[in-house]
Amino acid sequence: MTSVGKIVVVHSYKGGTGKTLLSVNLAATFVKRGRKVCLLDLDFRAPSLATLLNVTKSNYWLNDYLNGACEIDKVLVDLTDRIHNGGKLFVALANLATEAIRDMSAKDRKWEMRALGRLLALRNSLLNEKGFDYLVMDTSPGLQYSSINAIVSADLVIVATTSDRSDVDGTKRMLHELYDLFEKKTEIVLNKVLNASSSMRREAIQTNVKDIYQAPLLGLIPCFCDVLKAEGNIIFVEEKPEHPFTKIMGEIASEIDHL
Amino acid sequence: MAVKAQEALGKRPLHVLEKIRENLEKLNEKMEVMIELQKHDRKDVSLPITDAPLDVMTLLSMPDHLRKTAMALCRLGRATADEIAQQTTRARAVESAYLNQLVIMGHLKKERKGRKAYFCVEKEYKG
Repeated sequence: MTSVGKIVVVHSYKGGTGKTLLSVNLAATFVKRGRKVCLLDLDFRAPSLATLLNVTKSNYWLNDYLNGACEIDKVLVDLTDRIHNGGKLFVALANLATEAIRDMSAKDRKWEMRALGRLLALRNSLLNEKGFDYLVMDTSPGLQYSSINAIVSADLVIVATTSDRSDVDGTKRMLHELYDLFEKKTEIVLNKVLNASSSMRREAIQTNVKDIYQAPLLGLIPCFCDVLKAEGNIIFVEEKPEHPFTKIMGEIASEIDHL
Repeated sequence: MAVKAQEALGKRPLHVLEKIRENLEKLNEKMEVMIELQKHDRKDVSLPITDAPLDVMTLLSMPDHLRKTAMALCRLGRATADEIAQQTTRARAVESAYLNQLVIMGHLKKERKGRKAYFCVEKEYKG
């Protein structure tokens, strides 16, 4: 049962905090470093990776695996060619069809319990048997079944948060009433930080974040207009290797490697 | 013939001792269940509740000591009290009591294979 690889779950209290941006670019950063990575879309209510990565047709989706309709091999899509000179990138996507979204939001507790079992089984099938180095899971915000299932299966939970007051408050509660209860290693990424150019200001923000959340800060990402301008059409770290955002993602990936 | 009969006789006390031990273990388990029932003032309940799925929301609402046991079993899928104790680094007897309590609450199933008692979330569960 011992695996070398890690399951990293990206979660947040509110929507629009940058979970998907973080997940995709973190996975891509690991691949650029020669790792074998699987990126999974667990946001069944609002799937986004399929559109973002332009894979809108598939015979099997992650929904089918959780439904027990197929094994995980059938779901994996090889996108290794998207990253130049790297390791391997596979994705497991959530079904975009409205019917599938409706179906996933009407599942009962017994189904969710089985889905948790199938998610936990990925440690053996993907990390141990197929030799993946990282599974990066993008999730729905807040206390959704699929997200909590992912959190339970995680080795590390990255909580994406912003300075928005309701987000700060909700994130604080989740830290103590969700991640702590499951005894999960949790790290904060503060996104969309304004005026973060001076190192003094960055240090002040870091101290402030640690005081508020009483949890380690994994990264601080300034608000980059270039990221917004890309409109989710590119894998940012791949297309803009010299951009400060790419450098920050590199630092975050190195931190995770050493955890 | 005489030798064989002697061998059979020699094995008999061992067999009897084995049976006694098995029965004592069963008795012990029944007592653990009764103690748990008493603790929760549920003398009226003679049969375990069925169909109380061990989903994440249920895990969240559990007391910490039971959640730890339940999560270890979720990870393993099917395990003995010994195997759970290895994961949680708590004593086997403690885990045995908690597992039996989770059975009473209807979250787990218990099955015997020879002398060992296995606990599982349910048959189809992968873990």
